[in-house]
Formats: sequence, C-alpha cells, structure tokens
Amino acid sequence: MELKTTREGTNLIVDMEGRVDGTNAMDFQSALEGAIQQSDQGVIMDMGQLQYISSAGLRVILLVAKSLQKQNAKLLGCALSESVREIFAISGFDKIVPVHDSRADALKALED
Amino acid sequence: MSESESESYKILVVDDEPDVEPLMLQRMRRHIRSGRYSFVFAQNGIEALEVLNNDAEIDMVVSDINMPRMDGLTLLSQISELNPDLRAVIVSAYGDMKNIRTAMNRGAFDFVTKPLDFDDLQVTIERTLENMKAWKEALSSRDKLVSLQRELDVASQMQQSILPTQFPRGDGFETFGSMEPARNVGGDFFDVVLLDDGQIGLAIADVSGKGVPAALFMMSSRTLLKGSAIGLTEPGKVLREVNNLLAEDNESAMFVTVLYAVYDPATGHLSYANGGHNLPVIFHGDGSCIVLPYTEGLALAVLAGMEFDTGEVTLAPGDTLVLYTDGVTEAMDAENVEFGMERLQAVFASGAPESAEAANEAVFAAVREFVAGAPQSDDITCLTLRRIGA
Repeated sequence: MELKTTREGTNLIVDMEGRVDGTNAMDFQSALEGAIQQSDQGVIMDMGQLQYISSAGLRVILLVAKSLQKQNAKLLGCALSESVREIFAISGFDKIVPVHDSRADALKALED
Repeated sequence: MSESESESYKILVVDDEPDVEPLMLQRMRRHIRSGRYSFVFAQNGIEALEVLNNDAEIDMVVSDINMPRMDGLTLLSQISELNPDLRAVIVSAYGDMKNIRTAMNRGAFDFVTKPLDFDDLQVTIERTLENMKAWKEALSSRDKLVSLQRELDVASQMQQSILPTQFPRGDGFETFGSMEPARNVGGDFFDVVLLDDGQIGLAIADVSGKGVPAALFMMSSRTLLKGSAIGLTEPGKVLREVNNLLAEDNESAMFVTVLYAVYDPATGHLSYANGGHNLPVIFHGDGSCIVLPYTEGLALAVLAGMEFDTGEVTLAPGDTLVLYTDGVTEAMDAENVEFGMERLQAVFASGAPESAEAANEAVFAAVREFVAGAPQSDDITCLTLRRIGA
C-alpha cells in the first residue's frame, strides 16, 4: 500500500494505491491520522489506484470518519475501481462515506 | 481439546427436582471417575448463591428456570454480579423461547431443553468450559502485555470455542458448517440455532480487526445474535436489535458483517436479512443457481438506529443454500487472482451435492484447488443448509 497526500485549501486529498488488508491496516491508520489536521474541512480518499480493501481497512475508514465528524469535517471517497466499489456497496460503507465518480465531483460536493 | 483433558472442573447443578442429582451422577459417571467433572447440587437460586459464595472453585452452573424461592433467571443476574467469569447453561422446557431469550440476555452462555439429553448436555458443558477458558485467557492477555503471536493464539481459541460442533438435521433438512482459520488475521464465526415452531436460525459473520479485542467483540456479537434470534422471528428485526446493542458503546469502531436467515423446514420458506455481508447462493438440484436478492442493510455496530430489510425465498426440495464469508470469494492464487463469485457459482455445475456436508466440502475443495497452495490471508467459512427431497 502507498499513500500520497496533497492539500487543496482546507481539504486533504489522499491518493491510495495497492492493497489495504490486515497486514498493513495499522500503517494505513497511522499514515492517515498523521496527515489529517485540525483545520481540515474535508478529506477525500482517491481510490483510483486502490486494488483491494479488507474489513480491517474499512474499520480504519470508519474510525477516521468518526473522528472527522467530531471536528465537523467530511470524509469522501472517489474514483473507486469496480471491485472496491463492490466492497463498499456490499458492506454498506457507501452510506457512511459518500463516494463520487471523480476527484472533481468530490471537491465540488465539499463546496456545496 | 486434548491439552485440557487432564484439567478438572467443578459444576454446580441447580434444580428442584430430587431425581436430577442421582441421574446426573449416574449419567456423567465416566467423566466423574476420570476426574474431569465434579458436581455440587442446589435446589433453588438461594441455595445456589450460598454454595457459590462458599466455594470459589466452581467453574460453571447448570440451572433449571422454574424453581421455588429464587428462579433460574434471577439467579443468572445475581451470578453475573457475583463473578462475571462464571459460565451458566440454562435448562428450560422445550419451546420456552421467551425464558431462553431472557436467559441469554442475562448472560447465559447456552441452553439445553427438557427432557434432558445427557449426551447433548455433555457436549454443551464441554463447549462452555472451553469458552470460559479462552475467555479467561483473553482477559488476562488484554491486561498483560503479551506478544502479538500469543494474543493471536488466544483470539483463535476464543473463536473456535464459539463455533457449533453439532449441526441440526431433521425431517427434510440438514445443516453443516466449517471454518478454516487464517494464521494471523480473521474473525469469522457462524451459528445454527433451534427456534420456536421447529424453525432454524442460521448466522454467518465476519468481525473486522484482529487479536483479543476483536475476539471479545466476536463473543458479544455471537451472544447478542443468539439472544435476539431466539426472541424475534423476523431477521431484519433481529439484526436491528443486535446492531443497536453493539453500536451503543463502540469506541474502537469494530464492526461485524452478518447474514442471518430463518428457515422453516415444514415449508422450505427462508427469510433473511443482511448486515453488509456477502450474499448467499442457492444451488438447485440441476446444478444451476441463484444469488439471493440484495436487501438493504449496513454492517453491524457502525451506526445505531439502522433498518434492515427482510428478504424471502423458498427452497425447493434438493436445493442447497450456501452461506460463506469473503475468505471464500477473495481467496487468491499465486498470481493474486481472486476465486470470485463466478467460480463459486460453478462449483456444482456438474451436479448437485448429495448432502449439506458434501456441499460444504465441495466449496472448500474448489477453493483449495484454485489457490493451489498460495498462502491463506483470511478465514474461510462456509455454512450450508440443504432441503432434502425428490
């Protein structure tokens, strides 16, 4: 798994690549939590290059979504591959983390 | 279980019927003679509490429900205050689901019904003792700093101790389940529960996370699911209740995907609800199959107040229902190709399975052949129900 983070104003964009599963979920958690700042309004996970995420990875997303909620910030996903989209749909996580087709759509959703 | 065979356990039996004591001593004599069990007896809840207060060595309680002075349900709530490590098994009248549900909600580990089947009771006692042992180890390793490997060993003992070891079968139906645990990560479990009116509750679940915290979470999921399943008939309502209970106090953000179904052997009718789990497949007698239609529902413990739809289908004679976890469909070969839904649906293309057990084995065999020795990264679990018939 690779994470790259960039900022656009008060939004954090996280590019996810590879696989997130039980073996690296802890690393994923610390990298994500380390990158988020108190002032962030929105966090967008770009999953265009993410091949797979297991329930251990989804749990990290849930933890982050909960803590972002406390600072009134939003967590979004975008550009999900077919298989990751399916994982989100089956687990119902698309109800916790709104997913958008593209990064531009996600940024637009944060503006509204 | 071999390592624990030399240990001995003290069991308190609480029943107001005088013939229970001689009968128990007679039917359990082999286990008493080998030193594995010793028994003490009490005739009601008050007496039982006196015994428990004076004897710290008692490991578990087997209690009747209806007794004078203090009944079994009151005793249960007292026991959990007295010593949360004590395990209790409730003996109830057959079909007395209301009391069984109350007992499960008050922390009973399991129940057996009257008239007592002593073989069944002995299996239940063994499972309960095994679970108690795993639970104690889990608690002590949670409090101590233990190595990750040690923690994973404890967690896997806990996981094994909640799986059923006997599978209900009856007029026109049979069930079978098994799990192949992954070495490191995994949190699958399943359960088969006998419900009111001869109906069967089937649950398969996958807990996120690993280690002792996940194992303790799995334990509460299993108990709440069983308690709710016994009291409520509609699967969507069962998941709604369990979800609310689990979400109540869940700082660690663990969650569990669950597929819960109720089968009526008399009619072949199956109702089900899905909390974010993989959708089961029904294989027909001619080898064709359908995936159960999607019903709305989120993984449990994520958000309180969620609703879960109930879907309905009817199994025809010869149909086999296969419930599974993502360890099946996401099993990977050396090239990181997943086993996938299509391969699962093709398992019985050349002919329907002859039994629930055969169906189960066929799924495992197909996965094993596909991965061809590539390392297993998640638990692989499969629970099957077959409607026997023409």
